[in-house]
Amino acid sequence: MLPPFCCSRTGLCRVPTLRDIQRDVARSLLMPGDGAALAHIANDVIDTAERFDIYRNNVAMTLVGALRLAYPVVDKLVGSDFFDGAARTFVARHPPRSACLDDYGGEFPGFLAAFPAAAALAYLADVAQLEWTVNTALHAPDTPALRPDALTDLAAGEHGRVRFVPHPSVHLLPVRYPADAIWRAVLDGDAAALGGIAVKIEPNWLIVQRQASGIAVARLDEDEATWSNLLFSGVALGEIMPDEESARFVALLADHLASGRFAGFDAASGDGV
Amino acid sequence: MQGTIPARAGIGLRFPHHQAVIAQRPRVAWFEVHSENYLGGGAAIRDLETVRRDYPVSLHGVGLSLGGADGLDVAHLGRIVRLAERIEPGLVSEHLSWSVSAGHYLGDLLPLPLTEEALDVVCNNVDHFQEAMGCRILLENPSNYLQYRHSTIPESEFLGMVAQRTGCGILCDVNNIFVNAANHGWDADAYLDALPPDDVKELHLAGHAEKSLSNGAVILIDDHGSQVDAAVWQLFGKAVQRFGRLPTLIEWDTNIPPLQALLEQANRAAAILLQPHRALPRADVA
Repeated sequence: MLPPFCCSRTGLCRVPTLRDIQRDVARSLLMPGDGAALAHIANDVIDTAERFDIYRNNVAMTLVGALRLAYPVVDKLVGSDFFDGAARTFVARHPPRSACLDDYGGEFPGFLAAFPAAAALAYLADVAQLEWTVNTALHAPDTPALRPDALTDLAAGEHGRVRFVPHPSVHLLPVRYPADAIWRAVLDGDAAALGGIAVKIEPNWLIVQRQASGIAVARLDEDEATWSNLLFSGVALGEIMPDEESARFVALLADHLASGRFAGFDAASGDGV
Repeated sequence: MQGTIPARAGIGLRFPHHQAVIAQRPRVAWFEVHSENYLGGGAAIRDLETVRRDYPVSLHGVGLSLGGADGLDVAHLGRIVRLAERIEPGLVSEHLSWSVSAGHYLGDLLPLPLTEEALDVVCNNVDHFQEAMGCRILLENPSNYLQYRHSTIPESEFLGMVAQRTGCGILCDVNNIFVNAANHGWDADAYLDALPPDDVKELHLAGHAEKSLSNGAVILIDDHGSQVDAAVWQLFGKAVQRFGRLPTLIEWDTNIPPLQALLEQANRAAAILLQPHRALPRADVA
């Protein structure tokens, strides 16, 4: 707000700095009903509020559009009007921190989980989290995958010291609902499959990865998820290898290698840790 | 910098046309892309690298906020620099606008108050950008739907002063001049005449839409959603007369039609570029 003595007729106004103007415009763009920006706009035959609304709409269209690109399944599940309303509220509370809009919207699943109007859709936040993980995998850096036969040159005694580096497009995601089945059915437009999903709490781990052919989403059981978390955290093979179930562990490791889920490894002897 | 952009017609490459361009390799002289769409890994940048093998590419930024009072986002600038290292663009350009305040990106090219203070801010930011890129950049005149009470410098003069102080070039968007002239009562011909001709290095063309307001007035919206308007083609002819033969881009960003429609617009621009004009022939932009 301008101070009461400030009036363009008197010429006593302090000329606002560029930073002042940009703070006011930014706030008015994001906050419905905020009119601070209007005081800076030149008057003419067109109402200043109507001029400013063109920018409000552009900003909303761009940022809501960016969210819709990252969350196409959430959009379909809730309908575009509901999505617009939720996304506009989200945009005002969490404006982007970067001009790269591929990175925008990571807090949307948490926002939806606490959004009262979406409370009836208990599985929505899980589906949103899966979509964000897919979005992150889609735009992950282009790092070559470790060759599946990369370990064959190691001496037998070195295997236990191997610490893997996960590929940047690979993510493990815990979900409470069958988010993967819902996500797939909606993407495929398969109403029958969607109708056949029993929406009940069924904790699960998903592994999400970008492959040459597109995004792959697979389920892991509890052991596989525990081992994978350790592998992707760079814990040495010798410390993870279970005494029992070693055949299942080796099969999982082979699958990770064959699927290109590692970017590299280190087998240095280190300090024995 | 490799991959000089020729003084011919190019088109803005958007995602819906990636596969058609890669498969058909259409006869067009060059492509321009929005830098912010190619900052990650995956399919988008892989496609762009494929296109780059066959065509010169210009990087056109929409998010650096050269008019931002807080200075540039160095992390974002670093990503633009790395993209340029990967693509080796023939030209790099951005807008006379701002889009970031207090660390928040607002998703639009917002108008600047045209004051001495803003001139200092823009020049400092352009200097920073050019130092990081190691090349001269082009600064584009934006489309605007409002003006500020405190502006004191006409936009065409403001651009000329930035070019003079920083050594940057000017990207003259002919449609934006037409839109602003209609929206603010400017004289489009006088705007062209006020730009320093030797600093203008690229031209943009696009379609715009009319929006009716509550009092019956009409405002033009630079939506890049249709063919170039007849009056804008006419203004383009005047721009070519004044600035000579320059790289000229067709932009189409909403209601994107099949690639062929863009190629037809580019052919029309190419025909106008070939007409006799003041400064034949003009050297390609380095």
